[in-house]
Amino acid sequence: MKSGYASFLMLFCLHRFNGERSLSAIYHLFSGKKSSQTLQDSKWFQLERFFGTWKEATLNDIEALAEQLLENGLISPVQNRSYVLTEEGRRQFNEQMRQAFFPVHLNGWRYHASEKWFWYRLSLLVQTLSNVLHRTRFEPIHRHEETFIWVKQYLLSQRKMARELAQTLYEEIYDILSSVSEEEATVFTLRLTSFERIGWTNEQIASLLQKDPVYVHFQFQNVLHYMMATAEAKQPSVLYELMHDLSLPIPLTFSTRKTYEWLLRGKSIEEIAKLRRLKRSTIEDHVVEIAANIPQFSIWPFVSEKKAEKIMETVRKLRTRKLKVIRDAIADDVSYFEIRLVLAKEGKMW
Amino acid sequence: MVTLEQLLREKFGYDSFRKGQREIIEDILRGYDVLAMLPTGGGKSLCYQLPAYVLKGSVLIISPLVSLMEDQVQQLRQRGEKRVIAFNSFLETEVKRKAIERLHEFRFIYVSPEMLQSERLLHALMNIRISLFVVDEAHCISQWGYDFRPDFLKLGEIRKHLGSPTCLALTATAPPEVTDDIVHILQLQPLRRHIHSVDRPNIAIKVEKTEFIHEKINKLFDYVKMLQGPGLVYFSSRQWAETTARQLQREGIERVAYYHGGMDSEQRMLVQQQFLRGQLDIVCCTSAFGMGVNKENIRFVIHFHMPGQMEAYLQEIGRAGRDGKRSIAILLYTNGDEDMVQSLMETELPTDAQVKRLCESLLLYGAAPDSLEQQMSACSLTDVQKRILMYFLETEGIASSPRPLTEQEVAALYEKLIEKIESRRRWKRKKLLEMVKWIFHHSCRRELIVRAFQQSLEKKPDLCCDRCGFPLDGYLRVETEKKEFHFHGWQAELKRIFF
Repeated sequence: MKSGYASFLMLFCLHRFNGERSLSAIYHLFSGKKSSQTLQDSKWFQLERFFGTWKEATLNDIEALAEQLLENGLISPVQNRSYVLTEEGRRQFNEQMRQAFFPVHLNGWRYHASEKWFWYRLSLLVQTLSNVLHRTRFEPIHRHEETFIWVKQYLLSQRKMARELAQTLYEEIYDILSSVSEEEATVFTLRLTSFERIGWTNEQIASLLQKDPVYVHFQFQNVLHYMMATAEAKQPSVLYELMHDLSLPIPLTFSTRKTYEWLLRGKSIEEIAKLRRLKRSTIEDHVVEIAANIPQFSIWPFVSEKKAEKIMETVRKLRTRKLKVIRDAIADDVSYFEIRLVLAKEGKMW
Repeated sequence: MVTLEQLLREKFGYDSFRKGQREIIEDILRGYDVLAMLPTGGGKSLCYQLPAYVLKGSVLIISPLVSLMEDQVQQLRQRGEKRVIAFNSFLETEVKRKAIERLHEFRFIYVSPEMLQSERLLHALMNIRISLFVVDEAHCISQWGYDFRPDFLKLGEIRKHLGSPTCLALTATAPPEVTDDIVHILQLQPLRRHIHSVDRPNIAIKVEKTEFIHEKINKLFDYVKMLQGPGLVYFSSRQWAETTARQLQREGIERVAYYHGGMDSEQRMLVQQQFLRGQLDIVCCTSAFGMGVNKENIRFVIHFHMPGQMEAYLQEIGRAGRDGKRSIAILLYTNGDEDMVQSLMETELPTDAQVKRLCESLLLYGAAPDSLEQQMSACSLTDVQKRILMYFLETEGIASSPRPLTEQEVAALYEKLIEKIESRRRWKRKKLLEMVKWIFHHSCRRELIVRAFQQSLEKKPDLCCDRCGFPLDGYLRVETEKKEFHFHGWQAELKRIFF
């Protein structure tokens, strides 16, 4: 694996995690693992945009990248599989932050589950229109029955002629690509399949642009998420129609969802633990996850305002997320649960 | 009455049958069970697609590969056939439910074997008239097939449940031990066998030995530069396929890509389609490539690593020259290659320790179908290992019994499993040895291949094999103009897509 851009992303994550999470946290973040821990981490450390945006990465890849950074003296170990940036690492990172492409539109938190289907539909629709207009036969570029049926039904339900629909879609895509960089627009266009050209792989585009495939991957994702966000803001549009029935769920794990339902019915943590035959600590994990994800969820039934204030004060003073450090610094009796709850709710405010 | 030829023209647009097709179709229409072994690319699907327009009821096709299934469905739809459905894991629940409700309306019902586990689907199938029961890739039934699948074992019983409709078992090149299994498990009777020669006369066969690996790499580069494409290069590992594809690119050979099972499905599809459409000349791949890839004009297949057995080798070189034109298969061999293949084979078999763990787990939790999968995962078995154990458990009747097992039963099972794995290991070694022997043998390679399948060669082609001797001239690259792609910026390209 060529590692240029991946290394930069690693530095970015390690910088944010600041030695407080291990390499597997980075892996879980990129692969979009729906565990309470990963979901909270991505919020706490403001890495939501990357959630589930690099699903092909393996733990091996991540470890190999860290190994390389370590060899080059850019990071140093603090604990078991946790790293911080060295001074040189920080210098290089800051330099890259100024110069390198950064996926500002990336919103893995919101789109990680729907982007693939949106892209499948869009690219199949483009391929179909292109072939219909050129009167050529074709084989669908995705072997995915659901997408196939969806696109077919979409086309059948259209009152517009194919040419008209193509014109509209062309204009929508053109507008969006005009407001991203030339390179991003190129990447996106080449990934599309037309009547005469099967879409290119990331690797092929990378070799045309003389970049690495991971870089191309994130450029593509960035445009895709920008397109989805634009479509959501600009209705009606063809692009919005492609995504309107794709669910954009609150990312809660299945078990947490159940706990949330019980909470809404007024049950206490203790009662839910009994009902669901789970440990109290498990239910507490769920509550923390809910607090991190659902803005209107109130934490006051579980922690007093006074304690919360104290916890936040300590967090701001010590600039840490380590639970033990926080707890030790507060003389009063606060539980880990209370600290986690406050951190989850207050999220980024430090 | 409409003749078969008329139907062929009307529904499929062909003027005449290919070799063997007519005889198979006639036997089916007479109500015989048919075992058909046709060469790859021999037009197998027509053998059940045409009878569907004669027989009353639906044709049920069981196909193990979703991609293959989708291909067929696509082709049928392109021919204007609307009454076709494919039940596989990709089908949306709602679509599935609706399709089951009006199942009798479909002329073609494609099903993956795991879908047949669904009670509802099975029930619906029992309530309609199945005119023909087709098992595609039937060699998957036999554990002696190179691609056996445990869920195929149930097909015999399922066929009985459906009232034993006429059965057509289609298989690629398979030795007698495999075809015997097929006949036995599917209970084909009265049976007509249509076994066609495994020989592909338009493919010349060449084996080339080198002493060292770097010589082999150079040889590969030479051939790829020299030979007329499009071509496939087979490797035994993903890593090798990737690295070599990149090396070839650095050597100035453009239009090369790699393909293996570790890539995400979209990128895989792009490479496959690019190759089909001639955007790529060469694909460096593992055995994952090729199933369902219907490219007519592949001119060469090179094996950088040898496969573990003749059947796989024949299957892979069979992707060349489906258009009937002159093509070549080259196998590159370096001393010690068989050791690598051997060690790869070893990792495919479960270890004693893993079997022990599984048995202990079975004693604790029983062998209910849904927990079995979990227990296997807990023993850190790979997919291939799981498949083998599943097959053995299935044949032992363990996999479907939900009752707890006694200590004696588990102990006996352990012995059985170890024994079966050992016999499989011996069998695989034997197969590999056969392959190695073939490489070193001094007689005609074509004759040996045909003999391995207990057939005899009718006629030896002029361009036969390296043992018989043939010149390479006819296979060399003739410069043809290529459709070069010129990129004039994204605006122009985007316009080009739509207008």
